Amino acid sequence: MNANIKPPPPAAKTPDAGQVALAMQGFVSDFGPTAALALESCVHCGRCAEACQFYVQTNEAKYTPIHKIEPFKQAYEREVSPFAFAYRMLGLVPKVTGAELETWQSLIYDSCNMCGRCSLICPMGIDIADLVEQARHGMFEAGLAPPDYLGVLAEKEHATGSPFGLSVAKFQDMLHAIGAAHGVAMHVDEARADIVPTVSSIDLKTYPGSMAAIARILNHMGASWTFRTDGFDADNVSLTAGDRAGQRTTTLGIVRAAIACQAKTLLMPECGHSFTEMRWEAANAFGKELPFRVMQITEFLAEALSEGRIRVNKVHQKATYHDACQVSRRGGATAAPRAILKALGVELHELEDSGDEGWCCGGGGGVALINRAAPLRDKVFQIKRRQVEATGMDTVYTSCSGCRQTLDHGGKATQWNKSVASLLELVANNLKD
Amino acid sequence: MVESETLGETLQRRGFSRRSLLKFAIAMTSSLALPPSVAPLMAANLARARRRSVIWLSFQECTGCLETLLRSSSPTIDALIFDFISLDYQEALMAAAGTAAERTLREAVAANKGEYLLAIDGSIPTKDGGVYSLTGGRSNHDMLMEFAADAKAVLAIGTCAAYGGIPKAFPNPTGAVGVEDLVTDKPIVNIPGCPPVPEVLSGVLVHFISFGKLPDLDDRKRPLAYFGTTIHDQCYRRPFYDQGKFAKSFDDEGARQGWCLFELGCKGPITHNACASLKWNGGTSFPIESGHGCIGCSEPDFWDKGSFYTSLAGGSATGWRNAGLAAAVGIASGAAAALSSKLRAEPAKPRPENKP
Amino acid sequence: MTLLDFARGIGLQIAMLVLIVGLCWRFSAILLLRQRPQLALSRASLLGQIAGGAAMIFSRSVPRRSFRRRIGISILLSTIFHVGLFTIIFGGAPHILVIHQLIGLSWTNLPKGVVVIISGLTLAAMIAMLIRRIVHPVMRLLSTADDYLTWLFVFLPVVTGILLSGETIAGYETLLALHILSVEMMMIWLPFGKLMHGVLVIASRGTMGFNFARKGAAT
Repeated sequence: MNANIKPPPPAAKTPDAGQVALAMQGFVSDFGPTAALALESCVHCGRCAEACQFYVQTNEAKYTPIHKIEPFKQAYEREVSPFAFAYRMLGLVPKVTGAELETWQSLIYDSCNMCGRCSLICPMGIDIADLVEQARHGMFEAGLAPPDYLGVLAEKEHATGSPFGLSVAKFQDMLHAIGAAHGVAMHVDEARADIVPTVSSIDLKTYPGSMAAIARILNHMGASWTFRTDGFDADNVSLTAGDRAGQRTTTLGIVRAAIACQAKTLLMPECGHSFTEMRWEAANAFGKELPFRVMQITEFLAEALSEGRIRVNKVHQKATYHDACQVSRRGGATAAPRAILKALGVELHELEDSGDEGWCCGGGGGVALINRAAPLRDKVFQIKRRQVEATGMDTVYTSCSGCRQTLDHGGKATQWNKSVASLLELVANNLKD
Repeated sequence: MVESETLGETLQRRGFSRRSLLKFAIAMTSSLALPPSVAPLMAANLARARRRSVIWLSFQECTGCLETLLRSSSPTIDALIFDFISLDYQEALMAAAGTAAERTLREAVAANKGEYLLAIDGSIPTKDGGVYSLTGGRSNHDMLMEFAADAKAVLAIGTCAAYGGIPKAFPNPTGAVGVEDLVTDKPIVNIPGCPPVPEVLSGVLVHFISFGKLPDLDDRKRPLAYFGTTIHDQCYRRPFYDQGKFAKSFDDEGARQGWCLFELGCKGPITHNACASLKWNGGTSFPIESGHGCIGCSEPDFWDKGSFYTSLAGGSATGWRNAGLAAAVGIASGAAAALSSKLRAEPAKPRPENKP
Repeated sequence: MTLLDFARGIGLQIAMLVLIVGLCWRFSAILLLRQRPQLALSRASLLGQIAGGAAMIFSRSVPRRSFRRRIGISILLSTIFHVGLFTIIFGGAPHILVIHQLIGLSWTNLPKGVVVIISGLTLAAMIAMLIRRIVHPVMRLLSTADDYLTWLFVFLPVVTGILLSGETIAGYETLLALHILSVEMMMIWLPFGKLMHGVLVIASRGTMGFNFARKGAAT
């Protein structure tokens, strides 16, 4: 991981009464009709477990998705449910305890990617993934996000806008350096532009080529675009940590930057949760519909290709594709990468469970940033490994740097001989004049 | 009056052979659900039997029970049985009236003290001193208690006498009750029905005369032989019930085919009586055969079990006007609960440092 | 007043009232909680979202291809049970009669023999589901008293219904009273336990379908 951050040792003590109270307040503040309906509707059928990569790979019942939010549900029943007063008075639902929160910390964080497979299988239509996201609010507000090192990154992001604490000046330097290294012109902090792309911190550190790829494509299109360092890092680690305030700050920073240069399109990078956040949640933080379109990079490219605004060469490759959960299953952009692959002439051999039904890489939802979760992640990776190998393909494309990094790590740990590549970079490298 | 001639002698005098009596006994043992081997014993006992005094008091009744019994078109021997019991007092049938009738009653009781059968039809009003039904200025209640005291057994004939019947239906303004609610120290046989099947009374009397005791009774004091099964159990339309063929409305196609009347409110399944096997008017027909569902008239409170035309599958009452009120109460409570939840949900306080 | 009189009379009134009060209470308490508005540009029109909600109410009953192998038994038992129960309720002559007497609607009933066979399958499915709930580690972890009580409150009407239709073990009047009483117990329990899912399923699936249609998310 990043050598600049020295992760503190994990928390050793059971949450105290004050923390429990904060957690409860956090939980309770999240209960609107949708969450309430969801928490009322569970029939304990156990099917969500069969969709969850953590349960499937370990056979441990505690990884049953709906079980992961048990304290959240308990808080609901005791405080907000229709018969809450009776539950309290008759002692039918016990108070959430510090020990409970301690046990559940790893269930809510380490073993959930918020990938939404459980939400897809649930016969009652409960969006369990969303409930996990909400449960994390209370946990965070009680100081219970895993410090090593999701919690630490969230804190940095809240304070500085960047999970790695990078300053505006540093951003600008890095961008120009990447432009120079890849021979591509960078637009940074221009006052006015139609398109504002954002990046994920992972790209900054690990896959700078993808930022160069965005620049190359937008330049090729002759588009009016700029990076805005005042709204740059879309990673939003705060979201996955459960820091509502940090989430909001980060999001609004990006919105304001886009508004400031009167952008028509906010371009989200190869990333999952950043797309979810800006496309589906940013307007709520902003208080009204956004004055610009929000597109994930694959949506943008697919649209541009279909409208003839860019053209690509045929690459004559065979490959398989890994969908980012937040983009495909959760985000409604499953078709876009396939349109791109088709335009590129890639012979796509789909995974056994692909598209909306694909398995999560195991790193999503902040799990990649929890060090103690590494063994669990590796177990989950086996599913992806099996399915990629079953296709007989040597290359798996993806359009999320988080997935890319997780698959890379899993591959390295197991000496995997397949290559994981970026769809965005494939496009950028094959633009036709 | 106790006479000296036995039934056997009376029959011989009227030209009926011993064989006829035996045939009658066989029919009665079957009707009483006794083993066939009992028939010769019954015949012998009947031949030796002497007339048994029956005192019949009519209380708060419509006289339907008496009318049906008079129309018993059982074989002639049944009529002879009625000849053979000495019906010493019956206000509708006897010639005497007024003080002459009262004297007849006193004499009959005196002559048969401890041995007569007391037959009652009609319910007994108990409210307001029983003023709602008086005979010669005396309440039914007082007459019942006086004459039951010296009876061998009490026969409560018809649903009114047995359980209170129609007068007892809500709101029961006269405080009507059945015999068994008042008489607790004598054997009672309930022969319910509105009216009862006449052959049931014959059977009870024959049994009593033949064996000196009342037939086996169920937990409602009804003769098991006649009330041990339900109309449903014996109904000739039962195959249609089993096949799910029901008349949906009166005189529709199904009704004309003789299909089951369950959906038109037939209470056969919960009604114990012999109508479906013995039938009425000498086996001519019974309500279901005539196309109308059983109204359950031999069961207590049959008049208060809801409409005759609402099937057993449905509730006996509808309370739709309460439903709206219930919904309003529910919504108001739910709103209150939601409001209380909103008030309990304080805004999240600023989080602490995310320290280990 | 016999047990049957009580069941058909006051008992039914009480059960109806508790059911109505409880349903309205539970629903309004959920729906009147503070709602966060969704302001993001929707991929679907409002009509499209409503259609999405309506579609999911049905489509969720058929699991997606990649899930079927792992949840096959659960689907099999659940389908047999639910379809069986609804077939008995809406296809059995006495139940159609109840509905007809309540609201005036009626339709042709299924032959009694068919209902008998389906009742047997439903009963078997229920018992199998109970065993599975006790034995399977995930179900055992999740299950509470609510789950078992709800099972019992549904099992009793099925069992008493079977006994009543076979007119076996006890007299018709007793069996009918027990059957009606067991249904009334179920009605009283419904708003307070997991059985409420029978009503909630429409709201929860519909809500997910509505919300997911906005995102074009997988359904």
